[in-house]
Amino acid sequence: MRIKIDHTKCTGCKLCEVACSLQHTEAINPWRSRIRVFIGEDFCLPVIAGPYTEAACNAKGIVMVDGMEMDGCVVCRASCPVKTAFKEPDTGIPLKCDFCGEPPDPQCVRWCEADALTIVIED
Amino acid sequence: MFGWKGKILRVDLSRGNCSVEDIAPDVRTDFIGGRGMGLKVLFDEVDPLIDPLGPQNKLIFSTGPLTGTGAPAGGRFIVVSKSPLSGAIANPCCGGYFGANLKFAGYDLLIIEGKSPEPVYLFIKNDLVEIRPAGNLWGKWTTETEKQIRSDMMAESDAWEINNTSIVTIGPAGENLVKFACIMADGGRAAGRSGLGAVMGSKNLKAIVATGTGDVTIADVDGFKNAVMEFLEEGRENKALEKRRMWGTWSLPGRANKTGTQAALNFKTGYSEEFTKYEDPAYIRDRIRVRDEACFGCPFACSKRSRIADPEYPGTTKGPEHESMALLGSNCGFGGLDDICRANYLCNELGMDTITAGATFSCAMELFEEGYLPEKDIGYPLKFGNTEAMFELMKKIALRRDFGNLLADGGKALAEKYNHPELFMGIKGMGMPAWHPQGFEVIGLQYATNNVGACHTKATLPFYEGRKDPAHGVEWTKQDQDYVAVVDCGVLCWIIYHGPLWGEKLLSWLGVTTGIDYTEKGLSLIGERIWNLERLFNLKAGLSAKDDCLPKRITDEPRVNNQVVHLDRMLPEYYRVRGWDEKGIPTPEKLEQLGLTKEGAGVR
Repeated sequence: MRIKIDHTKCTGCKLCEVACSLQHTEAINPWRSRIRVFIGEDFCLPVIAGPYTEAACNAKGIVMVDGMEMDGCVVCRASCPVKTAFKEPDTGIPLKCDFCGEPPDPQCVRWCEADALTIVIED
Repeated sequence: MFGWKGKILRVDLSRGNCSVEDIAPDVRTDFIGGRGMGLKVLFDEVDPLIDPLGPQNKLIFSTGPLTGTGAPAGGRFIVVSKSPLSGAIANPCCGGYFGANLKFAGYDLLIIEGKSPEPVYLFIKNDLVEIRPAGNLWGKWTTETEKQIRSDMMAESDAWEINNTSIVTIGPAGENLVKFACIMADGGRAAGRSGLGAVMGSKNLKAIVATGTGDVTIADVDGFKNAVMEFLEEGRENKALEKRRMWGTWSLPGRANKTGTQAALNFKTGYSEEFTKYEDPAYIRDRIRVRDEACFGCPFACSKRSRIADPEYPGTTKGPEHESMALLGSNCGFGGLDDICRANYLCNELGMDTITAGATFSCAMELFEEGYLPEKDIGYPLKFGNTEAMFELMKKIALRRDFGNLLADGGKALAEKYNHPELFMGIKGMGMPAWHPQGFEVIGLQYATNNVGACHTKATLPFYEGRKDPAHGVEWTKQDQDYVAVVDCGVLCWIIYHGPLWGEKLLSWLGVTTGIDYTEKGLSLIGERIWNLERLFNLKAGLSAKDDCLPKRITDEPRVNNQVVHLDRMLPEYYRVRGWDEKGIPTPEKLEQLGLTKEGAGVR
């Protein structure tokens, strides 16, 4: 089971950030969410937090998304020493998606009206 | 405390001081936030008789307890001030992310007062509040300003921080005190009506930058989550909202035109041949849409980002919404989609209200065609449909150059100067929105009695289910005006929460979010209190019943459906339903009932 992101459907409403921070912290705060939405001019890009990595990249990468140049750090799922996203703002503790719910029922997917986030079940 | 942050950030630009104050608990409960709380501050602190473009005027950016919570379609903010266009109270509502980001930074309200000696912008990041020089930004168009600020931030912030920053800014129109200049936010949103861009310009304040990492909290987290889930489910079933999601307001120009109720040729008619192609909204969506663009926490994303193939306007912008299409398009005698997009783009970038800009142009065009306004004064043969002259003049308005200097004072001033005040289609100086009042008589009453002037977003339009019966028009107008005042306190979106559609949700959102036990009766009393306090501000500012009027064209010349609007019949009934005397002044009994006796002292 995994979460599939279709960024072409994302409207940038950030309800996934609201859902995630409410689920994990009982408060609303995008900076405490394990999913973040990058708002671009032509499209929005949801990114789900992956594992923490001790090392930071040596070079700044540029990634092409739909013909647009983007900062590689935005597309990267890792929480790392040089990036502000996916860290608790007060403590700096790294955040990672834990596929919340029991049985798994990630809140971000539940709250996504645009179907930019969907659950994919693989055998 | 839940929902609210409980803090006001006050910035005195004359002294260069910033301070933080607590919001008194009873003010929170009684005025909720947004439009109500902003009004309370303005009424208490600003003499209604002051010059709106003088340093004594204040500009209040006001969020509500729901802003930033993710309560669906509740991410908006209101700007409250005294309008330079109407001389009345101003409270335009704006979407995007700015309201939420101001809350995350820790503030419900931001009060700007005084006047900076030189151009500055305000930078807010949590507790860090700085007034920074803006000499290099002055003169820039709105998107360019925003991009420059974001690029300057790269020295101190990473991509995610910059992306979670909101910027409100004025364009050249605000700097040059154009009376219908707007405040633009987040790359294309507008606090559009009432000319508050000029108030910001008069303070030498080019932009406000807000970002924050704080929490917004909810009283009943489980209740909130369940309410959202329920709401999303209902939303999926709702056909009207499905249309909004798909088309935004693009389904309306064709519909209004088809029924002959669209502003056209300075309201001389309600129909434009060139608009028949918009009866299929896909015509618009297929040609210009880039993406659906949601406000913070809104699952409906009715706003559309758009682009046309034109090297002169390379970027994207928001809209054009229905109002802009009608006022800048059919009302000025043209209907080509690219031309409408150019006009909308220019207004957004120069920072002016598309509605009053359109009404001002259509007024100038009629004056010209009737021979009341000579070509040598304008510099162009400004016939209806002369888009080229219009685009040139838009830039001149923003810089107050040549004839643009006259247009910059708005259509009312223009029509008066050329001795035909009856040809400006506006109320209290503000241009009338797209729906022709002769199509739905009650709209005429709504426009005429609106505290801010001719604005369509402060009541419920009479073609929605549950509001169609004209027999109840006056009563509904009063009720919906009060109700929308509370919607504007949330700050919820008028489009989603107007009268018959989900009125009851307002109650549940406020309840689960703040933990305060609001009742329906209590809320309607709050709405009525706000409406009356705004009225008192206007009366003290020198407005009176004679300003509750409509252009003669609407009341005397049957232009649409062979009908005129009988305002003379509706207005006395409206005053009676409101508990006001025949001069439109709230009676002492009404004021006492609303707890406004002190505020109403001396008003007659």
